[in-house]
Parts: sequence; C-alpha cells; structure tokens
Amino acid sequence: MACKEPSVILDPLKDRTKLYYQPDNFPNPSYDFSKNPVTEDGFKLGKKLFYDGKLSRDGTIACAECHGQSYAFTHHGHTLSHGIDNAIGNRNAPPIQNTAFMDSFFWDGGVFDLDFFSVAPITNPLEMDEELGNVLDKLKMTKEYPELFEAAYGSSEITTEGFLKALSQFMNSLVSANSKYDKYVRNERGGDFTDSELAGLSVFKTKCASCHGTDLFSDGTYRNNGLQVYDREPDNGRYNITENESDKYKFKVPSLRNIGYTAPYMHDGQFLSLKQVLEHYDNGVYNTDNLDPDLIKGEILGIALSEEEKLGLLAFLNTLNDPTFITNPAFAAP
Amino acid sequence: MIFFFETLEYKLEMNFSNKLYIGLIGLSSLMMSCKQTDIENPDTTNTVKIEFDNRFAAAELSLSNTQAINASGEVYTVSTLNYFVSHVVLKSETGGTVSFPNQYFLIKESDVGTQLIELPEVPRGNYTQLSFNIGVDSLKSVSDVGSRTGVLDVASYGNDNMYWSWNMGYIFFKMEGNSPDVDLKGKDKFEFHIGGFGGKEGPTPNNIKNVVLSLDHVKVSQRTSPEIHVIFDVSKVMDGGNTLKLTESPMIHNPMVGTKVSANYASGFSIDHVH
Repeated sequence: MACKEPSVILDPLKDRTKLYYQPDNFPNPSYDFSKNPVTEDGFKLGKKLFYDGKLSRDGTIACAECHGQSYAFTHHGHTLSHGIDNAIGNRNAPPIQNTAFMDSFFWDGGVFDLDFFSVAPITNPLEMDEELGNVLDKLKMTKEYPELFEAAYGSSEITTEGFLKALSQFMNSLVSANSKYDKYVRNERGGDFTDSELAGLSVFKTKCASCHGTDLFSDGTYRNNGLQVYDREPDNGRYNITENESDKYKFKVPSLRNIGYTAPYMHDGQFLSLKQVLEHYDNGVYNTDNLDPDLIKGEILGIALSEEEKLGLLAFLNTLNDPTFITNPAFAAP
Repeated sequence: MIFFFETLEYKLEMNFSNKLYIGLIGLSSLMMSCKQTDIENPDTTNTVKIEFDNRFAAAELSLSNTQAINASGEVYTVSTLNYFVSHVVLKSETGGTVSFPNQYFLIKESDVGTQLIELPEVPRGNYTQLSFNIGVDSLKSVSDVGSRTGVLDVASYGNDNMYWSWNMGYIFFKMEGNSPDVDLKGKDKFEFHIGGFGGKEGPTPNNIKNVVLSLDHVKVSQRTSPEIHVIFDVSKVMDGGNTLKLTESPMIHNPMVGTKVSANYASGFSIDHVH
C-alpha cells in the first residue's frame, strides 16, 4: 500500500482537500507552476485578497462582486457586469474556473499571463478603479496581510509579485471537473447518462464540438458566432487586441462548464437562457464580417437544430454543471 | 610616527579590499544580468552618463506652459511626457560593444532625477556610437511578474500609468497635453499612449524603436567619465515623417495608430554635446 501512488481523482470529496490538480480528462496545464506552485498559505492569502474590497478604490468592490461562487464565479443576473459607483462594464463577467488550463484571459484574450490578469479589473475605472500601488499600500497598513505574506513567501514584504501570484494561486485552485459529464467520461459512480443526455452528447459531438472542443469545452480560439453587431458602439472583440481586420467581432470560445449556473450568455450577456442560445445558433445567426465558416454553409446561416436535438442538447449541457464546485467551502469567503 | 603611518596604511588597505570585494560582487552580478561586453581588457572602467533633455528645438520644455505649434497649425502644450529607454549599447571605435540588455529606464519630464541615466563600468576606450530602444523588448514584455522590478513594476506608476492591463504590455511612450483646437466632448485634451511589442500569440503592431546615434570618439578612461547630452525634440512627435493632426486624432491608445507616432518620435533624438 505504501509504495502505491494514490490514484488521481475518484472521490470528489477527497479532492476538496487538494488545492490544484490536473483532472484525468483534462489537457496539460498552460500555467507554469514551477514559477508559482499552489501552496496552502499562498492559496489562503489569495482567497483573502479575492474576497477583500480593499482592492477597489472605495473599499466596496471585491473580486467576488462580479465572480460569485454560487454562480461558478460569475456576476449573476447581470448582462453587463456592474462595478464601482454602479458603473456598468463593457462585457459579461466570465466564470473563473480551470484557469491553469487556459492560454489567455478575457473575451478578447488581451491578457496572456494569469499573473497579470488581476491588474485589469483592479485598475479598470468601471470595475474597481484603483491603482495597484494603492492596493499594496493599503495591505501594508493592516496587521494581517504582512503575516499572510510571511506565511506564504517567507517575507512579510508586500510585493507586486507576491500579491499577483497569490491571486493566481487561488484562481488556479478553482478546478472544476466533477460534473456528471466528468463522471460519465471517467467511468465513475454517478455518471450514468439518461437517454436524453446521451442523445444530446451525440448532437453536441457532431454540431458543437468543433469549437467547444476538449474536455474544457473550448478550443481556445476566437470566433465570430454571428451575434448582431450594433452600429452604436460596436464591440470589436479580438480586433481590439490584434487590430487585425480579420479579428473583428471575434470573441474567445467560452468553456461550457457550469453553464447552467452562469446565465446570462455571450460577451454582452444578451441571452438569458440556454434555450435562447440554441435558438440563436438554429435561426438567429447574423452574417457579419468574419462570421465563423462553421456557421455558414452556402446560403444557410447557423446550425440547424431540430426541437428534439435542442431538448437533448439542453439535457446534455446541464450535465456540465459541477455542484461540488459551487458549494466547495474551501472556495467560499473566509 | 612610522607606526602611525603603518596603521593608516593598513586601514586604507582594509577599506580598499572591502570595497574591492563589494565591487567584485557588484561586477559579477552586473555581468550576469545587466552588462555584456566583448571588449577586451576591461581592467579599467568608468561610468558613462546619458542625459535626456526634452525640448522644443531651441526652447526649453516647461510642462503645461511652453506653447508649440505643429505643422498642422495647431497650438498645444505638453502636460506629461514619459518614455522607456532600454537596451543601451555603446560601440567603440575598434568595433567592440558594451551593452546593458537588462537595464530599463523610465524618463519622465516631470522628474529631473530620471533624466540622467548611469551606465556603470564601461571599459576604457573611444566610443563612436550610442544606441538604445524606446520601449520594452518583447522578451521582457512576456516575462514572469517576478522579473519585473523597478520601473517595470506594474504597481509603481501611481496615477501616471505606463502599463496597459487590457492589452497587456507597457506604454512605451506617453505624451499628453492640451490644445485649444481640440474639442473632444468639451475637453481640449490630447493623449498619445504608444505601446505594442509585436504580440505573443500572433503578430500585432510593434512600436519598439531602436535609436542609433553617432558619437565623436567619446573617451572613457580611468579619469574620464563622460556625460552624453541627448536632446529629444518634442516637436518631432507630431511633425516627424508623419504629420499628425490633433483635431483628427486627439486620443491615440492603440498600437496600430501608434506606429505613425513612434516613427515620428524615434527621429527626434540627437546628440547635442558631450562633457
């Protein structure tokens, strides 16, 4: 027994004690853990920061404001996320999950290193509207943060690196891989699919997986999925980063994990239900510049879906919900 | 008396050897991270200083005060002028070079202390060329947060930000000011924020500019620690090879539009004198 390595993930309850792990059905992580391994004390510091309003100008907005655990770390009920002074952001806050396996962040992929992710919401005038230096100064004034930094890094000095990497440690710990689908695909207890779910999986594989690929349910590319482009202040998406015309109106293919908890949908939150999302692909696709080739076949726009297929897809998509993720007390406010 | 002298000498030696030891540690760490040279006999070295003097041709630049007129006939004043200088290289008359690849400087018109940069331990010789980047190289722009200290610390800018969080990368060059000709939602402000290191995942506009300036055999020796006075002609920002019009684009925050501006300011540097 002593010589045998414990098998990786069989019991979700046991996994709750693990801060970060690579699920069997996931690709290798993109994050370089050699530079910032997840430790218990680093995680603890990161979690405290994540839930602390000090990161915002007036102390009212913590990361958790727009990234609540109960909704898989999204901003429940808001099409566009709200920030400081009730300012309305430009986009819908994506879930924070499985960050270690992603190459880029935000709908337009403007950040390619998780360690620099947190700078954006902190300094965005519509979100937390604070200078990073001020945040560090505020932490220095406290009794507990120097102690938490000491525990995490062996020095009580509050540095940019320590601050940002602690937040990365917390985010990288937000591994979500205990959905019914995961159990199904890993042949674990509780993974028996209903006929409807099986039918949905089959439709998904032929009609959705070309973009929502791998068990992360995103191939990590940027695509124009045919949403209406509003003349007034259009969101150019990936183009804002590359300034390449062929990237106009493209957004990162989102993961579908925990999709049942993360309404509303799309970069601007325009669809309130998954049914609306399916209707969009079936009969709501607009032929705008750079529309994804998979969404136009000759004259026909979108992905034809029968009502039966839609029912199957809805059943299948709900197997991607991971209830242990949104209730895990390890991720809750300290 | 003799005893006294001996003691003094001993003390001097002690001090000297201590300093030498500290110096050697400094040198070795510099060689590891900051300085590279292929010049032989670097037994004698000295410091080279470079002063960056931002001005309008003949006139001093006084922030929010000096009025200038661009080639489009627009009157403007400059309230903020900052830029990164990096990868400084000195080339000697024998063809050897001494470079400082991991040294980054942030020149700010509002802070005189930033306008004089020091290059330590330059080997003796006569130098005929000075080159440097305006900006932060791509390797550094994708590096680990732990390697971004000093002026590259993204938390160090206060309300004078030099880092784009939304399209991650440094603002290489920043010039802001006012012009009565600009009317942008009732404000007369213009802002040029120029960045863009070329992209990590695919090619994007690159505004890293290398400036090469000739030196008239600037001598470095044990006794000579030269100070090179570089002038940056601020008027070139709007009137270099490209003529900019403030009324057309008072706000420049994207690398693509920024390429016109970076081409302009790269042509604004010259050597005024050396002393």
